Amino acid sequence: MHTQDFPQLESIERIEQGFEALGYICSTKIATAVFLAFQLRKPVLVEGPPGVGKTELAKTCAELLSVPLIRLQCYEGLDEAKALYEWKYGKQLLYTQVLKEKLGDLLHGARGLAESVERLHQFGDIFFSEDFLEPRPLLKAMQQERGAILLIDEVDKSDYEFESLLLEILSDYQISIPEIGTVKARVSPMVFLTSNNSRDISDALKRRCLHLYIPFPTVELEERIVLSRVPDIDATLRHQLVAFVHSLRELDLKKAPAISETLDWARSLLLLHAGDLEEDLVRSTLNVLLKFEDDVQNAESGLGELLRAARSTP
Amino acid sequence: MQSAITGFIQLLRSHELRVSPAETLDAMAVATTLGYGDRARLRDGLALSLAKSAREEAILLRCFDQYFDKTLAGQADPAPEADPAAAPESPAPPQEEDATLLQEAAGEFPELGEALATPLLQQLLDNDRTELSLAMGQAAAASGLGNIRMFTQKGQYTRRMLDALGEDALRRAIIALEQADSPLLELLKGYSDNLREQVRDSVEREYLLQAEGHNRQFLDDILSRTRLNQLEQRYMDEVRELVRKMARKLAARHSRKPKVQKRGQLDMGRTLRRGIATDGVMFNTYWRKVRRDKPQILALCDVSGSVAAYAKFLLLFLYSLQDVLPRVRSFAFSSHLGEISELFREHPVEKAIELANWRYGGATDYGSSLEDFAELALNDINSSTTVIILGDARNNGGDPRLEIMQSVYQRARRVLWLNPESRRAWGSGDSEMLRYQSACHFAAECNNLQQLERIIDQLLRLNH
Repeated sequence: MHTQDFPQLESIERIEQGFEALGYICSTKIATAVFLAFQLRKPVLVEGPPGVGKTELAKTCAELLSVPLIRLQCYEGLDEAKALYEWKYGKQLLYTQVLKEKLGDLLHGARGLAESVERLHQFGDIFFSEDFLEPRPLLKAMQQERGAILLIDEVDKSDYEFESLLLEILSDYQISIPEIGTVKARVSPMVFLTSNNSRDISDALKRRCLHLYIPFPTVELEERIVLSRVPDIDATLRHQLVAFVHSLRELDLKKAPAISETLDWARSLLLLHAGDLEEDLVRSTLNVLLKFEDDVQNAESGLGELLRAARSTP
Repeated sequence: MQSAITGFIQLLRSHELRVSPAETLDAMAVATTLGYGDRARLRDGLALSLAKSAREEAILLRCFDQYFDKTLAGQADPAPEADPAAAPESPAPPQEEDATLLQEAAGEFPELGEALATPLLQQLLDNDRTELSLAMGQAAAASGLGNIRMFTQKGQYTRRMLDALGEDALRRAIIALEQADSPLLELLKGYSDNLREQVRDSVEREYLLQAEGHNRQFLDDILSRTRLNQLEQRYMDEVRELVRKMARKLAARHSRKPKVQKRGQLDMGRTLRRGIATDGVMFNTYWRKVRRDKPQILALCDVSGSVAAYAKFLLLFLYSLQDVLPRVRSFAFSSHLGEISELFREHPVEKAIELANWRYGGATDYGSSLEDFAELALNDINSSTTVIILGDARNNGGDPRLEIMQSVYQRARRVLWLNPESRRAWGSGDSEMLRYQSACHFAAECNNLQQLERIIDQLLRLNH
């Protein structure tokens, strides 16, 4: 992708503004990462706890540039047939069956095997041409005319072999298909990889990427996020609920509430017409924030204290 | 400015961040794209391109603050400090006064005249911090301050810095004034002390910057070669950190398994059978799956007085490797044996080791311990099991029960015996090591972290 085609990405400030207009409030660091990824044509490896907006970042980028978002969800056992390309085996078989009759006409009058083979050679590898190629996400991303955002989601769930497969694609934006040759990207796509850190990504892959770690946001940033996503909520309530979520993250929880949970909770409170963080109300909606029974009990035991602290924050 | 980036990368390497030449180029490209104007932006950019985990990022940011505090100082705007505004012109007049006083006396003392002619004293008199810090930077480069490693070198480098700054003229002037008992002596001494202090500070800063990483490497080196039972208590934290570091290294090396043929062989029967539906055309292919080998490790640790210190490190090592070795079961024994795996699930590693020591410590009896082991785990040992035994094989003259060891040997994929005693002592006195060794695939001497690391490295290599 070239700078002149996408003025939206020409400076860090413009990226921040563009994202904000689309409702994605980000820190300068995230904008810097997007800027560098674009300028240096490097993929970004995004890490961070679940729910901080890793996938959202790629989606917003695609929206900002109005290019297609091509997503590849990784899982154990993902292989090249599902990620890169596959031969349309069925179509190939069907065509051979249909063309069987034509074969007679074609070879009519040929003397001996050698001549028959000679004639067949004139047709080249018709069954292994692009017409019989089924592009999967990675190849599809290379074929886009205007470039694309390629999101390789949860790359830590895939196997090690798959990682090595990605190396060629991520450093040179090309794919080698043995029967056809090397397919180079028309316009190199912008690549985001996300990882939840369920295992270590190999150094070779990390080395090719910019490494962006998105932590939980600061209080100010999270308030701005809530403001942009749930604009109808009352300002004091917004302030209190963000403070409360932040104090929850301090607790020893199995899964700390992320931004997506904060937003869900803000929407629930809005639906329930809450004007203030009352203890009963919080108690009954706590399951929106916390997804484990242990965590809910843990939070409930000190709820009064937490709420008092959240209400009194300046 | 490029040299600043390479210098920064050198510093990162000494703090155990692996930065390859290709990454250095990346960092340069990042710095060129972002420019050097905005410090916070450059900081973010370098963190994005050089750090590979949240831990490395924290180290990098700390190094950045230390390093570029120094390097960017000379580059910054002509008015880098805020305090000239806070204390406006008031100190300036007395300094001008000083200058005129000294100028007048220069006729009397030729040495003073010489000193006044040097840019150094002029900078001091003008209180020109920008010029001075630039001069200090040059002097640091000239005296090779970047090579400072030991705190004993501080004095030496301070001296060299002062010489490089051209302080000798100032010194001669002071001596001349002293001999003449001049009233200006105190005045000039004040400037000289001020200079020395600044030089000493910059040497100190450089020492902290450079030596911290190197000294740690040096200490790590020593610690990994010391016999484990002789490690001093006060180094325990460092050793634990070292073990984790080694474990991380091993985990990184072995987490990339060689490619397993996932599809295996064509399952002809199934492919033909399923082909019936499509009139005998083999539309879909079916493949035999390769069964993935899940290694299991059973670790038996002698926790009696003589070996306990070693057991602690073996266990620490094994449990720091959880990511690569998913199925470790551990047993502790001395007079009898018990499984301690659940202790490690419930408590952090250090605490669990203490509990195991406390529960099973005592006089060693290998015979009855092996009996207990056979009862607990013999049926679980199969061709994917590796058994590691850590002990000195000193049985206090009891029955060694070699036949149990032999049945373990026959069932297990591999039996390793790690003995903290040196090979020469094996078999001497009440040691049954030579006999037990006959029922092991591999027996090794293991009494420092380096050996331990090497053995576990081999172990991991054998596992896949």
